[in-house]
Amino acid sequence: MTTVPISSTDQPSSFLARLWTPRNRYYFIAFLFILPAIINFSIFRYLPIFAAARASLWQYSLLGGYRDFVGLQHYQFMMEDIYFWKSMKVTAMFVLMKVPVQVLLSLMLAVLLQKETRSSAIVRSAIFTPVVTSVVVVSIIWAMMYHSQLGLINSILSAFGIPRQVFLSDADRALPAMSAMMVWKDLGFSMIIIMAGLKGIPVVYREAAIVDGAKPWQIMRHITLPLLKRVLMFVVVTQTIFSFQNFVPVYVMTKGGPMDSTKVIVFYIYQYGFLFQDMGYASAMSVVTLLVLLVVSMIQMRLFRTDVEY
Amino acid sequence: METVNTNTGVDVRKRSPNQILKKLGLVLGENFLYLILVVVFVAPLAWMVLGSLREEKEIFANLYPFTIHTFWPITWTLDTYLDMFGISEIGIMYGLHFHRFMANSLIVSVAVVSCSLVFNTMGAYFFARLDFPFKNFLLIFVVATMLIPFQATIVPLYIVVSKLGMRDSFWGLIVPWFASPFVIFALAQFIKEIPKELDEAATIDGASLWGILWHVILPNAIPGIITMALLEFQFIWNLFYWPLIVINSSDLQMIQVAIANQTTQTQIFWGRTFAGSTLASLPVIIIFLALQKWYIQGVATTGLKG
Repeated sequence: MTTVPISSTDQPSSFLARLWTPRNRYYFIAFLFILPAIINFSIFRYLPIFAAARASLWQYSLLGGYRDFVGLQHYQFMMEDIYFWKSMKVTAMFVLMKVPVQVLLSLMLAVLLQKETRSSAIVRSAIFTPVVTSVVVVSIIWAMMYHSQLGLINSILSAFGIPRQVFLSDADRALPAMSAMMVWKDLGFSMIIIMAGLKGIPVVYREAAIVDGAKPWQIMRHITLPLLKRVLMFVVVTQTIFSFQNFVPVYVMTKGGPMDSTKVIVFYIYQYGFLFQDMGYASAMSVVTLLVLLVVSMIQMRLFRTDVEY
Repeated sequence: METVNTNTGVDVRKRSPNQILKKLGLVLGENFLYLILVVVFVAPLAWMVLGSLREEKEIFANLYPFTIHTFWPITWTLDTYLDMFGISEIGIMYGLHFHRFMANSLIVSVAVVSCSLVFNTMGAYFFARLDFPFKNFLLIFVVATMLIPFQATIVPLYIVVSKLGMRDSFWGLIVPWFASPFVIFALAQFIKEIPKELDEAATIDGASLWGILWHVILPNAIPGIITMALLEFQFIWNLFYWPLIVINSSDLQMIQVAIANQTTQTQIFWGRTFAGSTLASLPVIIIFLALQKWYIQGVATTGLKG
């Protein structure tokens, strides 16, 4: 508003003066508080989606720019690209191997460790430490632990008389080995959220059940779990979205191998965009991945709405 | 909450021997489980830190089969760190300068955390307190950004940042993160808990909106702000994919990419890999251990309300 030059005639400036009421002045200043965030999100969160949608319709590279308009050809190619489908399958398998195990274990640990004792606090910090450790470092160290000749895991197995095992260079074992590592890393995160959820359940419910003579597992089954459903749903969905975008372990540990058995979708997009310099096709795959994950988010919101309140 | 005393069993005398045995078994079993959990979650990191404090040939000599010295060094030395910082002969020979990457990561993290605290606190104050005609629309605009998957949309983000000419510079590392929907949301929840009477009193005293934010909200929101600063510092320090693609000049690279490149090129130098990994992860781990109460609080709030 202030940028409009005051013209020579009286009319517009008095119009402006009428707009510049104390109320509007307040709104203007209030808007300045949120403006930086709005600018950031417009440019770095929303604009990329439009850029991707546009680039996905072109033969596009950073140096050459928009060369040829190809319409939906990238999407057509994607439908027939067996490597795209394979990477989607690998991604889904990674999510299925990781998320259920992680949620189950973190639920068990949250229940086990919710006591406010010193020892359980120590165990909680120990479990949470990998969460703050960078994925890169975790991947590097675990790659060394999984080493087929010198790895720590084989060394420990040898103490039990088990011969050396191959982990990361076996096409059947690499993905499970990677998801085991990521369960180890992310467990503390979901555990803390579930613990916060447990704390939110009013104690009277459990006390009432104990008075009625309910056994611990009955309390778990009929009181804790139903009331925890919302939090568990949240953990499942966020972890699904998060794990679907797994990239760093693949980059550091296997580079997608052996035999593409760990080539997840984000790594495949990375290869096309930055190694093959085909930003158009990479953008098209980004758009599809974005849509898939948006559908997951929608399901999340739907599930959140139809929930038991307490 | 120290009233329980299950470990010592206050009224042992009132119980039958069978009950005592059962109780004892339970306590022992529980502590054994605790021990296993601590070992499982700490061992890999302990192996890394201890491995960085010994000679490389000693690591290999004691790896297989498993003994106590697989973990515990026989001779303690800081040689691998001297290598990583380019102080020792080997370090100079290989042209290692890890302090450079640590400094880069520190600069970027501190810059992002500072900017982000200013802009996110402002945004949070807006949503928690201020009046605006399209506030609900703006709230949806901000919350919806949380639905955009970051790793999956990194190619288009790269296109945008390149177009803005920020590729291969600290600008490209800092500017995209100067505001965060998660932080705005969490801080807004936090500010809502501050009594509104404080604002009103300040308004009557003639304070402007900035004045209220600075003198009333900020001092009361310090715990929340510290929590968010910690989470954000960890997020930026641990960033990998974004600096990997946006930075080409090795002098500007951040530590996570540097350590990943170092190890894939020189897979055989385990001592140096351990040292580099320790340097890349220990700062955040130490901050976490020192301030873990706030840290966990932050995760729990962003998790539950985000």
